[in-house]
Amino acid sequence: MASQAETYVLFELAGATYAMPSSSVQHIEMMEHVTLVPNAHRAIDGVVFSRGQVIPALNLRARFGFPRQERTLRTRVIFAQVQRRVVGMIVDSAREFKNIPAASVRPIEQALTGVSGNYLRGLTTVNDRLILILDLEAVLNLDKDESLATSLSEVIASGAQPTPAALAH
Amino acid sequence: MSPDFSPELQRELLDDFFTECDEHLAHIREALVLLEPSIGKAQADGTVLEDLFRNFHSFKGISAIVGLRAAEELAHVTEDYLRELTRGSVTLSAHGVELLMQATQRLEQIAAAFRAERPLPSAETLQTLMSELLHASGRTKNQNDASAASAASTTSTASPAGPAIENAQARGLLLWKFTFVPSKPLDEKGVNINSVRARLSDKGEILQATPRVRGEGAVAFEFLVGMKETPADIAFWESDGITAELLEQRGPSALAAKELAPASKELPFPQEHNPFIAPSHVVRVDLPRLDELMRIVGEMVIKRSRFEEELSRISRKGETVDVGALREVNTGLNRSLRELREGIMRVRMVPVAEIFARMPFVVRDLARENHKKARLKMDGQQTEIDKYLIEQLKDPLLHLVRNSFSHGVETPEERRQAGKPEEAVISLSAATSGDSVIITVADDGRGINQAKVLTRAREVGLPIPEVLDKTDRASLLAILCAPGFSTRTDADLASGRGVGMAVVLNTVRALGGTLALETEEHKGSRFIIRVPLTMAIADTLIVSASDQTCAVPQTFVSEVMPVTEEEIRKVNGVEVIPYRDGVLPVIRLASFFRLAGKAQPRMCVLVLSSDRGSSGLVVDRIHGQREVVVRSIRDPLIQAPGVAGATELGDGRPVLILDGTAFTSGAVRPNTEGAEMSSLTRN
Repeated sequence: MASQAETYVLFELAGATYAMPSSSVQHIEMMEHVTLVPNAHRAIDGVVFSRGQVIPALNLRARFGFPRQERTLRTRVIFAQVQRRVVGMIVDSAREFKNIPAASVRPIEQALTGVSGNYLRGLTTVNDRLILILDLEAVLNLDKDESLATSLSEVIASGAQPTPAALAH
Repeated sequence: MSPDFSPELQRELLDDFFTECDEHLAHIREALVLLEPSIGKAQADGTVLEDLFRNFHSFKGISAIVGLRAAEELAHVTEDYLRELTRGSVTLSAHGVELLMQATQRLEQIAAAFRAERPLPSAETLQTLMSELLHASGRTKNQNDASAASAASTTSTASPAGPAIENAQARGLLLWKFTFVPSKPLDEKGVNINSVRARLSDKGEILQATPRVRGEGAVAFEFLVGMKETPADIAFWESDGITAELLEQRGPSALAAKELAPASKELPFPQEHNPFIAPSHVVRVDLPRLDELMRIVGEMVIKRSRFEEELSRISRKGETVDVGALREVNTGLNRSLRELREGIMRVRMVPVAEIFARMPFVVRDLARENHKKARLKMDGQQTEIDKYLIEQLKDPLLHLVRNSFSHGVETPEERRQAGKPEEAVISLSAATSGDSVIITVADDGRGINQAKVLTRAREVGLPIPEVLDKTDRASLLAILCAPGFSTRTDADLASGRGVGMAVVLNTVRALGGTLALETEEHKGSRFIIRVPLTMAIADTLIVSASDQTCAVPQTFVSEVMPVTEEEIRKVNGVEVIPYRDGVLPVIRLASFFRLAGKAQPRMCVLVLSSDRGSSGLVVDRIHGQREVVVRSIRDPLIQAPGVAGATELGDGRPVLILDGTAFTSGAVRPNTEGAEMSSLTRN
């Protein structure tokens, strides 16, 4: 018990291993049907239901600038909660939980900040395997260039309350 | 009551108390508005007075139960005044109505402060003013005596704490502070707030009693008691949950200011910017509505047992399945479920009076603070809408009313010069229209100066159209509702909590509604909110195109007809079909999803119409009619024009519900030449 450790969910995306704190993860599911939403953000594949709520399905490959990939049996949706928002993140696969000591997480080196560098909180190595730790808030902070439309709706989202629809079941 | 002081019950009791407070205050507000026409009349409207009296009386009663003295006393004096009005011994004056309104607001503030565990605002000045009103009014000699007596009794209970303490000290009384924490075991011993109060008044003079809400909803009561001598058994009181503390004999003013929570300075109690203190989660239900639900549930029980009988019959070997009987049971259950659903919807409906009733106070306050004259006219207060909608519309309506006042209403001088009566009229109305409720906020003020709005929009750096048609109210409204616009112009009181037009618009949209504006310079403006009466369930047509399935709310569908590819023509790059004597612009569902449409020999077009216009939706197939549970889409990432919500049809997959208003108002544009028809690249 040398230092504090946090449990992370590890997932694969375009050949790299990423991690997000398991405390933010609600559940992980097989990728099934995603309903298209016209004119949604380009990284949004559509919507899925999770616990009776309509949740955006964010394609992390698209988010990080990688090409989209055909869905496979290993494709997973990780439902993560950031503040009051739940987003389903589509990843190539997700199979592991790991305890990562806080002390072993190193900040990102300048050289590494490529396309996805802005979404990383740090990195660590476990058994010589490089693990990139996601900054979930940054990941979900989609294009501010749509500021007008987004900020409007964010105002509403921040005051969001359960609707009768949520009670109708 | 029989106080059972387990923390849960305590919280429940307090919750009940606040709910009741809200109810009484709501009734009082409604009645006060009706009282205004009686000003100056020899005999005010008896029914209204009686209603007011009853509610103030009940308020007094419940305040006493929770030990909220300040409210109890204020309600008491108010009640005295109302009694005199009922008797006709005093004439209702404008000042009187004003005081009644202030008293109502103060009662609400006291209750709110109690709830929020803040220091209670004092009501002394109001009480004094109210008593003065009683005395000043011309009374006969012997009524005067009676009222003097009643005033005396009032002062003994309602005595302002500061002077009372001073007085007690002057008489050489010892000042003790007792804190009593009620609990269940104590209650079983017979020690409760009433017995403690009795014990204390027996030993001395209770100068002040203050309930304190502690964490977890527990309540403690603090009593400030003036005593001639220290009670001999005071050491044993602790076992009864009473702790005693002898206060230093310091200056009374210091005491009044420090030890006693109620501020001795009265009027500048922080005004609530938002008169809606807390969202209310309580719906009053008329018993017949519940009886109806009960009846339906009873029917369902019977139908289910018939279903079970049938099940056990066909599970016996050799019995044939009687499909007809099963269908009948299914039909019956279906009908009951629908009735049940409708019944529950009705239970959720509350009159808009819940929001409206506060608005006259808002306008009065604004008028007082701003030297403008305005009154509020209200219509359709009994219009019922879903409780959730009511809660959501509170802030937007408040903002619109404040906006009307601060931007619409001119000063009395300006109005005189314009040949208008000095007093402006802001009207608030509600009416149902089909499945919607229409709420309007209108004023007879200066109207919106389009040129000024445009100039300001440029200053703020908003993207605005080069040319704005004089009659293009929608674009004007869009500018008014742009974030960053309202905040700057509304820097005055109207922007109490930074709730701008942007939020008004978005709240209305999130509820599946629309906002419209009518305005004419020098004549006034009118904001029109249209929201669905309820939002949980919708009758829809399930349609599909290119493997995408959608639900279209039936309220927007006026006609369904077959259409062939040949019938769809292009006019100025817009696809149209011949319709009646003219043409109808059409939108292909497939291209709405940006999917390539497959060639279909036969397609269908749904003619969608709303008050905003008409358009046709071309689909490959209509799968039928379904009642769906509407799930709102709250994440901005997936909010898209044309999509009102989502639902599921039993397979767990989300199906989008299209937004009829967007399709008919031009927010979703008809297909134009070379419309994006990219093939499916996602998923």
